[in-house]
Amino acid sequence: MKALTANRLSDGEVVFWKAGTWVERFAEAELFSVDEPAILAEGQAKSQPTVVVDAYLIDLIESEGLWAPVSYRERIRALGPTNHIHHGKQAEGGDAILALQHAHGAARSSGRVNLIKRK
Amino acid sequence: MPKLIRLEAEHFVEADDSFTSVADDQDLPEGDVIVSFARFQSEGHALIGEGRRVGVRLEPDEAVEALADDLGKISVVALAFPKFRDGRAFTSAHVLKSRLGFAGEIRAVGDVVRDLAGFMVRCGFTAFEPADGATLEQWASSVQRHRHVYQRAADSRIPAFAEREGR
Amino acid sequence: MYQYDSLDRDILADRSAEFRDQVARRLSGEITEEHFKPVRLMNGLYLQLHAYMLRVAIPYGSMNAKQLHKLADIGRRYDKGYGHFTTRTNLQFHWIKLADTPDILDELASIDMHAIQTSGNCIRNVTADPYAGATADEIDDPRVWSEAIRQWSSLHPEFSFLPRKFKIAITASAKDRTVAKAHDIGLMVRRARDGTLGFEVIVGGGMGRTPFIGPTIREFLPAHRLFSYLEAILRVYNRHGRRDNIYKARIKILVSALGREAFAREVEEEWSKVGEAGDLPDTEIARIRGAFSRKAFETLPAQSEVYDAAVSADPGFARFARNNLKPHKRQGYTIVEISLKGIGETPGDATSDQMDVVADLAERFGQDDVRVTHEQNLVLPHVKLDDAPEVYRALAAAGLGTPNINLISDIIACPGLDYCALANARAIIVAQDIARRFADQDRAEQVGELKIKISGCINACGHHHVGHIGILGVDKKGEEFYQLTLGGSGAEDAAIGKILGPALPLDRVTDAIDTLVDVYLRERQGDERFLDTYRRTGDAPFKEAVYAETH
Repeated sequence: MKALTANRLSDGEVVFWKAGTWVERFAEAELFSVDEPAILAEGQAKSQPTVVVDAYLIDLIESEGLWAPVSYRERIRALGPTNHIHHGKQAEGGDAILALQHAHGAARSSGRVNLIKRK
Repeated sequence: MPKLIRLEAEHFVEADDSFTSVADDQDLPEGDVIVSFARFQSEGHALIGEGRRVGVRLEPDEAVEALADDLGKISVVALAFPKFRDGRAFTSAHVLKSRLGFAGEIRAVGDVVRDLAGFMVRCGFTAFEPADGATLEQWASSVQRHRHVYQRAADSRIPAFAEREGR
Repeated sequence: MYQYDSLDRDILADRSAEFRDQVARRLSGEITEEHFKPVRLMNGLYLQLHAYMLRVAIPYGSMNAKQLHKLADIGRRYDKGYGHFTTRTNLQFHWIKLADTPDILDELASIDMHAIQTSGNCIRNVTADPYAGATADEIDDPRVWSEAIRQWSSLHPEFSFLPRKFKIAITASAKDRTVAKAHDIGLMVRRARDGTLGFEVIVGGGMGRTPFIGPTIREFLPAHRLFSYLEAILRVYNRHGRRDNIYKARIKILVSALGREAFAREVEEEWSKVGEAGDLPDTEIARIRGAFSRKAFETLPAQSEVYDAAVSADPGFARFARNNLKPHKRQGYTIVEISLKGIGETPGDATSDQMDVVADLAERFGQDDVRVTHEQNLVLPHVKLDDAPEVYRALAAAGLGTPNINLISDIIACPGLDYCALANARAIIVAQDIARRFADQDRAEQVGELKIKISGCINACGHHHVGHIGILGVDKKGEEFYQLTLGGSGAEDAAIGKILGPALPLDRVTDAIDTLVDVYLRERQGDERFLDTYRRTGDAPFKEAVYAETH
């Protein structure tokens, strides 16, 4: 499973792709079970340079019956900093946030699909 | 004829560019040409001998000092910015103008953007081929935006410390 | 504080207007992100994990109360009511909107502050001794030279697109509080036998992926020749520094590749061509010196009854005085260090309310002077001993009374993976956990000076290479692991720490620190610091203890 994420240009907010628009909550993100529409969406996102910066696909895993980003870094992006638990999206609380907080099984720290490793 | 922005007597003007920039594998056209340093070394004197005006394009890793003996015969030195973040051409221009005393045209070519226009002028560039589509007015206003400068450079602007002394 | 004149103010206003225009061009789509990124970085604006981050310059870590109040105000209005002081003595706001930044820069300009060159491949904020003007052992006030360099380097036409970032530190004391030897250029103020003022010039130190303690390329540079010499160094670097590999682009790699002598020769040759035309006139240095407001020190007795009484009556103050007060050059005065390392807090963070408290204290008791240290603490450099107890009580009431300067819980940590787009692992949580383990101040004092420095990636913003104990976060198959280094120092005895052994998982780090401390307490002789013991014994006993289980 995959999701498409970026930072919004005007304020830097972490956003997720949902059927041609961008939402702030990971819980509302569109989930891609097959690659083709995901790659298509990524292409569309990249053609919105005045809306978002640096759109990329991330891998997901199951956590408590919900989906969560596989990488630690992406979970921090979806939640907020772990040293200020009232800052960022995690402040809202709820089951979707808890599922993200309880997820583990981290993979690459960036969690990007097709990450080109820095030399 | 293609246009470029030229600094003439402290004013920016849009000027016709009579020079053709020629790649190494390209046949030489008639008229004024800008060639690479390598080509200048092999063909430069012959070209000058033909009575046409000749410019030399230097990449950032080519030292301007290598042209020192020929500067009197060269009309244009074009300094390349492969990316605008590659700042070596600033030093090349500075040395060319301040140390080697080159009086001809110092032209910025490549990834030339107006955000760096002020720096270019201060380092001694006198002609510009903007790659960002900047107009003459936009280019001039970028350069003139800063009313004061802190340091001496290759231009004639009076640095802040001297302005202060004059008060 | 250096007092701006109208030229300094015009320069900030023009730069701010320029940036407003650049932001508008980006938002409208006129320029791409690829074009905008280096432009915004030139003004300290990053895109981090959660939002934009704006790094505000605090030149040589020096500011006045009005400026600190304004930073608090910006934190409240544009961020989440706090800011983060960094190892470059800057202040970072972590929750900034791009569209707000032009207004924030105008706000900063209104109090003679800016974000110019707090990032990008240019000459960054110059750092200097945080005790400048207050410590007895300094040869000259390094802030004068720092301010002159700030001006010279600001929007420098030739040196704003260097191969990589460029950091300069200046110290004028025998005790180095700036990590001068781990900078691109470290300047140590010296006085020649004939009384001439000058600098020892160290070039090519640094941390990051390939740490170096910088070599001295000139033992004595007369002070009035500083700017031509800097121009020569920067020109050699701009021309010859590597641009093909970002990890090999710092000047330290050039100096190391050429060797100290060859690099020094290149600089001297270039310097001879630059000549005196590259120098700043003495009159301008004198003007800058004069633009630093004079301090009005009173003639006071060396002993203060109020202070002595408070030490006897209040054990909390006595402990604070022991650890956080440092000797001042004038009798009856003291230097107050304010720890931003509250136990369990984020190192370097201060809330807007706390900034206001410190600013108020600076106004009432501290001659309107506040400093930031590279160890992410604040300093009130000029406080009367008579006033120290009241200052302490006000700090303590604001959660700023932690008496742990230079102790094990006074930890440097970069923002790490909680904020930073470059990080591989978290740093803050490691610092918090270690600080909690050593929350017992008696034990912390028993351990004594022990500098722990934590970075969340190899870029080493948390200075781990020069920590007595350094901790580097790495990504091991997606899990946070931490590599320990021992024996580093960022002081006058600067040294790069040595890796102790294989990286440890997050949940073993604090235990390992505990073990290292136990070994030190067992092995130490006399009044040796942790670093001294390590230097004497080598890493064997430490290594054995930490990796005992895995043997």
